[in-house]
Amino acid sequence: MAAAESPSAALRRRDLCSRGIRLAGKMRADVVDLLDAYVEQQGLDASASVAAVEGVPLAAVERWDEQTGTQRLLENLAAYRAFRALLAQMLEEQREQLGEADAGLGRALAAVLLQVSAFAYHLEELLRLESRGIPGEEGDEEEEDGPPPPPRLSLFEQKLRGLGVLRELAQWAVRSVRDLRQLAKPSPATGAAPGLAESP
Amino acid sequence: MFSRWNWVACGFYLVLSICSPDASGGLVQSCGHIIPESPVLALGSNFTALCILNESCLDFGNIYASQIIWKIKNRLVPKEQYREINRTVSSVTFNDTSSLATPLTCNILADGQIEQNIYGITVTVGLPPEKPKNLSCIVHQESRFTYAMTCTWNPGRHTFLDTQFRLRYRWPEQIFPDCIPKDVNNSCTIDDTQFFVNTEIWVEATNALGKAESDPLVVDPIDIVKPLPPQNVSITSGLLPTVLQLCWENWISDAVMTLKFNIRYRIVGSTNWMEVPPEDTASPRTSFSIQGLRPYTEYVFSIRCMKEDGAGYWSDWSEEKTGITIEDQPSKGPPIWRIIDTSQSPACWTVHLIWKALKPHEANGVILQYELTVRDKSSLSSPVKKYNVTSTNHTLQLREGTYEVTLIARNSVGPSPPSVLLIPASNSKAPVKNLRTLPKHDKLWVGWTAPNNYVLKYVIEWCLMSSSSDCNIEWQIVLGDVQGIDLKGIKPFKCYLITVYPLYADGQGSGQSVKAYLKQDRPSKGPTVQTKKVGKAEAVLTWNHLTVEEQNGFIRNYTILYKTIDGNETVVTVDPSKTEYTLSSLTSDTLYTVRMMASTDNGSRTGPDFTFTTQKFGKGEIEAIVVPVCLAFLLIVLLGVLFCFNKRDLIKKHIWPIVPDPSKSNIAQWSPQVPAKHNISSKDQMYPEGSFTDVSVVEIEADDKKSFSEQDLKPFDLLKKEKSTSEGHSSGIGGSSCMSSPRQSVSDSDEGETTQNTSSTVQYSTVVLNGYRDQTPVQVFSRSESTQPLLDSEERSEDHAGGADSTPQRQQYFRQNGGQDETNTDRPCFDKTKQITHANEGDLVGFVQLQISGQSSQPLGLGMEKNTQEAAVSNVLQTCTEGQTVRPETVEENPLSVDEMPKSYLPQTVRQGGYMPQ
Repeated sequence: MAAAESPSAALRRRDLCSRGIRLAGKMRADVVDLLDAYVEQQGLDASASVAAVEGVPLAAVERWDEQTGTQRLLENLAAYRAFRALLAQMLEEQREQLGEADAGLGRALAAVLLQVSAFAYHLEELLRLESRGIPGEEGDEEEEDGPPPPPRLSLFEQKLRGLGVLRELAQWAVRSVRDLRQLAKPSPATGAAPGLAESP
Repeated sequence: MFSRWNWVACGFYLVLSICSPDASGGLVQSCGHIIPESPVLALGSNFTALCILNESCLDFGNIYASQIIWKIKNRLVPKEQYREINRTVSSVTFNDTSSLATPLTCNILADGQIEQNIYGITVTVGLPPEKPKNLSCIVHQESRFTYAMTCTWNPGRHTFLDTQFRLRYRWPEQIFPDCIPKDVNNSCTIDDTQFFVNTEIWVEATNALGKAESDPLVVDPIDIVKPLPPQNVSITSGLLPTVLQLCWENWISDAVMTLKFNIRYRIVGSTNWMEVPPEDTASPRTSFSIQGLRPYTEYVFSIRCMKEDGAGYWSDWSEEKTGITIEDQPSKGPPIWRIIDTSQSPACWTVHLIWKALKPHEANGVILQYELTVRDKSSLSSPVKKYNVTSTNHTLQLREGTYEVTLIARNSVGPSPPSVLLIPASNSKAPVKNLRTLPKHDKLWVGWTAPNNYVLKYVIEWCLMSSSSDCNIEWQIVLGDVQGIDLKGIKPFKCYLITVYPLYADGQGSGQSVKAYLKQDRPSKGPTVQTKKVGKAEAVLTWNHLTVEEQNGFIRNYTILYKTIDGNETVVTVDPSKTEYTLSSLTSDTLYTVRMMASTDNGSRTGPDFTFTTQKFGKGEIEAIVVPVCLAFLLIVLLGVLFCFNKRDLIKKHIWPIVPDPSKSNIAQWSPQVPAKHNISSKDQMYPEGSFTDVSVVEIEADDKKSFSEQDLKPFDLLKKEKSTSEGHSSGIGGSSCMSSPRQSVSDSDEGETTQNTSSTVQYSTVVLNGYRDQTPVQVFSRSESTQPLLDSEERSEDHAGGADSTPQRQQYFRQNGGQDETNTDRPCFDKTKQITHANEGDLVGFVQLQISGQSSQPLGLGMEKNTQEAAVSNVLQTCTEGQTVRPETVEENPLSVDEMPKSYLPQTVRQGGYMPQ
């Protein structure tokens, strides 16, 4: 984070943080609601344990309070980019499976997808304010390198993966709120203790 | 010849070339075309079109660009606008496309005359789209998770072309699908609105002439949200009577948007909303306690919300919910008043205590009962009486005195403060002054000036006055510092009696009353007038006052309008307090029409017409005429009587002429030969007055007939002759006597001696029927003619006043009955009679005794020379006066001899009761 931040940049940063926090909060609320609808619609058990989704960084981190702001932003950006891709895939699979039969679930997925994209945009803007380069998306790089196509999953596996994605996204939403609040503090010291760890 | 056929062939070819199917695929192969094809032109711009002829047509039809003419619809375009570019191309130019119309056709004049259409185009004229303006967006919450953003804009002028509007929005790195309006061109709704990202929104308008974009609107949709109002609003009564708790649910989670609220409330039935101060509800919450409410009052609540920071829009108000606060003690005592009825006895009051139910905000609950306490202040030993009443009135029977009444209203929570009313023995305190009223729209203001003393309260009574029912009193109590109130519920055109009582701490002032109308109208009917008394020149009119229902206002005056049939109407204004008026100066014996008009401040009404006729004579006029006339008559009569009295002798002489004295008759010359055989005096006794009527009897003894000399009888003959013509004169005396039968005369004569002598006497009598003056007697008996000389003398005596002179000699042959009839003779007769009386002592037997009753001749009156039979004479006079009869008196005579009878008299058969008519 730049030591000498212009007032407009600070204002912009604060605004981005504020919006990001609220977006993350709304995203979490929507994801929680979507999880209920998804479990019910897909016929899954809400208490079913799902293995970690491949490609999604875990929200839980051991030394969260020791992370720098940039580090937090980068981790968040990586995570939400992954979620964006996964949700887009889920939405595609949802449409293939159900067509227009359950438009509500599809709209909810699309809404969450949009929020994830928006949040990623917020993170990118914050990173720009941090004068940090925005890393390229892995998918694009992989696409350029010609990555192998993802293994074809069974329908049940797709459902379970979707459940895992939504659960992890909910976790990440909580973490993102905390990260942005940390970033929104007036004089954030890199590696400083977070102090207030407000829950969203 | 060839050329002609050549032209025909060319024309035919031209037609075929225009109409024949195009080998290239079209049905018609045109000889040319227009460039541009169906252009869309901006309104007001210039335009140039080219008509290009096909080369093939040139060869076969000999047509060239110089032959081209342009038409708009069927209107020829001026050739000044043409230009021949080459032999196959002609252009037309329009400086202003507004003059263009569809279709624009290119035509050719074949052979200089035949007009053929080559081609035509459709020209569309319009405007390019304007830049949309005033773009604004609002996000409507449709459900808990769905939000729809609706953006509206001003599309600008009409373009006359098909113009597409689309709403476009994007994030910095993501473009969303356009929102295309349906059926409208100024709004569009985006369903999948995402918050917390600044979204760029703009409108793009496109038509054939161009494209325009609005200024972009960059907004985070979360800042333009109009949320749904709170739901499931509920109201809970708290422990306090002035508090209600409002609870609700929010549609938006705090994660999305924190809210602030507005709470409004009102009392049921009221339209005025009260609002909880906004700062009290500026933070997120789901409940709120509203304080300062009225106990036991039902309230209506409503709530709305918006984003806490004020960005966005207020939601609609939630549905209204009602709640009621719990009860509290009544805040004040009921106003109480009394009506005292002393009609039964002044010392025994019937006190009607009346009080008003507390208003809801005063009762603070349901009043269960009223506790009434009455204390007699004039007697300390009297117990306090308590009553529990559920109604709002109570009647007591009290003796005259001073009482203190205390009233408490009680609800389920507790009692009210007491209301105290002092009822003094008399309202001896000072009353209010200057009581007045003033209408104010639909209210009647009553004002007064306070008395000098301190007044606790005023009681205002008012009631609608009615002629048919009692005044139903309404009342109101106001504090002592008030000097005027508005009375509500007052009806227009009705009379109200308003009374104000001042209430003091130690008594009560007497009431002051005033009558008032909220609004006046003219009377509903006019007075009915009638006459009470009608005279010659005046008439007393009476009428009844209009009833209070008919008045409709204060009667300011009555107006009497009266007139004759053809006369002018006279108007008289009468004070409204009167019910009688006297019209004066009327014309006598004239028909008048009168009607009466009652007037208020707002008009008049006339009653029915009434007609009367004045009298011909005034009061006393008739009396004034009749009484003098009567008096004059009486005076005349009196004078007449006096005159008659004074001239009674003269009158008597006319009415009752002097009866000739039989003693002076000629017959008296022989009468001394006839001895008198009967006692006259005794005969008077035998024939009491009235026992003989209308009979004249002359008894002459048959033997004495001879004693009548011829000379003596001559007068009888003469008299007889006169009798035939003037029997009426004698009938006044003798006529009436003739009505008696001879028998009667006989029987009524001497009952003893006369009856005994009838056999030896001849009775002469004259019976004259209807004999008076000119009346012709019906029957005349000859015997009566023996008296004729008497009557003759009598009549002659009437004709000759004091006619004794003419018959002195005949009169001397008669003598009155025993001297009694002397009263009917004059003095000479009397004197003669005296002489005869002496002679009769032994000789005058058979002389006619004639008694004439009631014919006293005063001039001849009874002198002091009356004999001893004077008393008897007066009796006879009295009798005759009463009965107006001539009472014959039977005289016992010695019958005359037949020889001595005068020739003119035939002696009748001497037989008692018989007659011998001549």
